[in-house]
Amino acid sequence: MSLAYVLQSGLLPEGLNVSFKPLPGVLVAAMLLLFLVIGYVFKISDTEGMWVAGRSIGNIENGMAIGANWMSAASYLGMAALIATSGIYGLAFVVGWTANFFLILIFLAAQLRRFGKYTAPDFVGDRFNSDTARALAAITTFLIGFVYSIGQARGMGLVGLYIFGDIGIPGLTGYQSMVVLMMTITVAYLALSGMLGATKNMAVQFTILIVAFLAGVFVVGWVNGYSTLLPQIQYGALINDLSAEFAEPFGNFDGFYIWIATAFSLIVGTAGLPHVLVRFYTVENERTARWSTVWGLFFICLLYWSAPAFAAFGTDLYAENIGPVYGEGGMATEAADVIVVLAAQLSNLPTWFVGLVAAGGIAAAIATTAGLFIAGSSAISHDIYTNIVNPDATQREQIIVGRLSVVALGALTTLAALDPAAPIAALVSYAFSLAGSVLFPMFFLGLWWENANRQGAIAGMVSGLVLWSVPMINEVVPTYGLLGGETLSPALATWMPAIGSALIVTPVVFIVTIAVSYATPEPPKETKRIVRQCHSPKRMKRQQTAEDIVTDGGEDPADD
Amino acid sequence: MYDNILVPTDGSETAEVAVEHAVEMAKRYEATLHTLYVVDIDAVNFSLGTEQLDRLKSGGLDEMDDVKEGAEEATGRVADRASEEGVDVVEEVRAGTPHDTIVKYAENNGIDVIVMGSHGRGGVKRALLGSVAERVLRTTHLPVFVVDVEE
Repeated sequence: MSLAYVLQSGLLPEGLNVSFKPLPGVLVAAMLLLFLVIGYVFKISDTEGMWVAGRSIGNIENGMAIGANWMSAASYLGMAALIATSGIYGLAFVVGWTANFFLILIFLAAQLRRFGKYTAPDFVGDRFNSDTARALAAITTFLIGFVYSIGQARGMGLVGLYIFGDIGIPGLTGYQSMVVLMMTITVAYLALSGMLGATKNMAVQFTILIVAFLAGVFVVGWVNGYSTLLPQIQYGALINDLSAEFAEPFGNFDGFYIWIATAFSLIVGTAGLPHVLVRFYTVENERTARWSTVWGLFFICLLYWSAPAFAAFGTDLYAENIGPVYGEGGMATEAADVIVVLAAQLSNLPTWFVGLVAAGGIAAAIATTAGLFIAGSSAISHDIYTNIVNPDATQREQIIVGRLSVVALGALTTLAALDPAAPIAALVSYAFSLAGSVLFPMFFLGLWWENANRQGAIAGMVSGLVLWSVPMINEVVPTYGLLGGETLSPALATWMPAIGSALIVTPVVFIVTIAVSYATPEPPKETKRIVRQCHSPKRMKRQQTAEDIVTDGGEDPADD
Repeated sequence: MYDNILVPTDGSETAEVAVEHAVEMAKRYEATLHTLYVVDIDAVNFSLGTEQLDRLKSGGLDEMDDVKEGAEEATGRVADRASEEGVDVVEEVRAGTPHDTIVKYAENNGIDVIVMGSHGRGGVKRALLGSVAERVLRTTHLPVFVVDVEE
């Protein structure tokens, strides 16, 4: 009976007790309802006074929104999972996903505020004066949304399975049924214009996920006697008891290379993620842009400081209660992906509490999926449809195209997540490799090097897309049973792993963009002046953009 | 009988057809013609991103150049048409959900009749798109003059 259960529910270990749980179920439903209500209130609230400069969003609220938008199922579930199964390698995620914001803070946040456009492809299209460049950036944005969300769907599917049990859609396993259900809810909400991505909603999503995660780590540490007040540090006492796989740094050289590749990819990837960068266009001024980033990073660190502790507790509990973590018959990646929930479950905590920890994971996944899907829909609706295909598009047409894009993204993601190729954190990393390979060089060079031109940008983005696809086809596509079902070239997979391909691709894209820009005519003077204004040391007024200053005439901005 | 006539526009051909009727009516009754463009917050959400809604709400329309231009171009065309016929005209741009915003404007500005264009949609298309005119009809007690455009 119990064996049948494991098979039927698919993937999750018996210790997790897959079944419908009323209290956690109500908790999750209430949370989704709350998002709905906040979105509704946001939507109908009076917009009449908006011609006068109204209330603007402060640093802390922006920081919370950055945190929720940023921290996905990969941070909430996937990071602890990788630390649990791969030990020190998992720390590449903790390091990469926090160091990234320094790059944004120093080179992009305030500068993007000065550019002040709408979408990420807008920047690329306007900066390089090219619809081709805009289209390439838009396609990349859509692709990032798709690849990134596969990990979110997997996270929601696994956690949902724990809370709701096997809902039994015919022909699908319990996990697959849950992926379909959770994605349907998310897509329906977004397509009916749910304001999931509104700053208020993001702030609430952040609060739920951080409270759930921190409560989880403190309580699990406390009841098992691992820690008292500072689990983030006290888990160190466990390291000696955990297996060598968990604790031993850099067991072999291969590990060292892939560690660097992964961390690098995650850092540059963040600085090219459209759904993260768009926030900086809209903040009140460049000072807010900077301080929001700092607050965002602090809020993110609250979770990241705790994830290794959670992973250590979970690993120890798993070894004690279920069986060996490593080696043959060890912890499956599916079990690892819910280690955070599993740790709470194995501590014999009341179901509502385990449900709370699980709900936090769903909040994290939904918040990020909302950001990704809206970024994808705007890339199609605004950048491709309205800017290129049909410049006379009415607002209604924009809505239809946007909604269809959300539905298309949802369908693609659901299909790819039914039988996902890798654990959550790895799935998400593929999207980071893409963002770091194609968009980051455009933003960085676009803002900091005035001679980067249209030909350079197009050549750079095309080579980035092609080179990113190489390891994806080499390693990831075969896991879906295509191309013979096995990694095509193990040597290539070692040196250009899909999980960290940006380490190789990003420098190549920089070189291609720079070389082609030198070999072709310089960009127009107007563009160069805007770029100079974007990083000029002189302060700009509130809600002023570089373009305004340049079009208003005046002297050339100081070059620095 | 009619002192203030409202003709909402989104710049589409459907709206333009209603404008002809509205101008004619305003001329006949010597009424003031109000023309309203609603920046649809759903369109902003799906096409520019949710962050842009926060920007709108904190008074940032002035820096959203193309949105503003599109809106003013649409109301400007109505104003031009009205001026040709010597009709007084008020141009207005607001943001919100179209039918709610239209009705709210009408009720707060002493509008006597709302003139609107509507696609003669049916079936799937109607289910997918709904109709702003239909929703306005259902939300207000004011008279609504609907000009159906056959495709």
